[in-house]
Amino acid sequence: VAQSADAADAATVFVFNRTFDASRQDVWNAFTQPEHLKHWWGVPGNRIEIVHHDLKPGGLFHYCTRFPDGRTMWARFIFREIVAPERLVWLNGFSDERGGLTPNPWLPNFPLETLNTVTLAEQDGRTLLTITVAPYSASDEEARIFAGGIAGMKMGFGASFKLLADYLARRS
Amino acid sequence: MPDRLTSTFAALADPTRRAILARLALGETSVTELAKPFEMSMPAVSKHLKVLERAGLIARSREAQSRPCRLAPGPLQDAANWIEEYRRFWEASLDRLEDYLSKMKAATKAEKTKGPRANRSKTKSKE
Repeated sequence: VAQSADAADAATVFVFNRTFDASRQDVWNAFTQPEHLKHWWGVPGNRIEIVHHDLKPGGLFHYCTRFPDGRTMWARFIFREIVAPERLVWLNGFSDERGGLTPNPWLPNFPLETLNTVTLAEQDGRTLLTITVAPYSASDEEARIFAGGIAGMKMGFGASFKLLADYLARRS
Repeated sequence: MPDRLTSTFAALADPTRRAILARLALGETSVTELAKPFEMSMPAVSKHLKVLERAGLIARSREAQSRPCRLAPGPLQDAANWIEEYRRFWEASLDRLEDYLSKMKAATKAEKTKGPRANRSKTKSKE
């Protein structure tokens, strides 16, 4: 969708890695079964309420986070690829309570949906998990914004640039 | 606030502009100095500087003739905070998965040692 040089530079995606001291099957189960997901997925410090979970290509996972102050936040997955126990691909987005897509509450021009891919690899009885997050069918504008976020993260905006920015803010 | 973040991220999407910011992180400098590493005309560099200035990422001195550029703190800080939050969200999710997996492992071990009877009552007592 995005063809500009900027977007090519952003062909890159957000990537997160973690090695777990657990079997690949256990990590897969934790990621794909609602009775496990409800114990760890969602906004830190809050349990999620799962209203729908249908693990099949095109299937919907629809859930709600209820915050202590009464606010609710709905979100959804649409599963794309399910290759147990090694690869899960889904479209990730915020939604309303009926499951319709809604914009990112913090960044209205962020792509409505991201294509998230989890791969699990076994390594000496441990499991290496890799998550990638890429914009999905984003407009050029949305792709550019996403690219900026990724680029910012790669620049070390998240850590070292934050220190610099805080320092500058204190000084001014 | 979200609109400002949007223009910050849009400004960051360009590699030349990121390089300019990285250079400015080292300290205030003139436009001529900034243009040196890029094979680019001065007007082209000025265009990038205008985008960065409009996004509030840099400020340019009005005093000296050379109008030196420096990083501006506000939007840079908002963008850094947002990116840090996004990263933290994923890291925290993976932390919780890690905790949960070790609980799963402990539960499986307990089941094995207790035998099937204990296992059944344990499942019932779960929510």
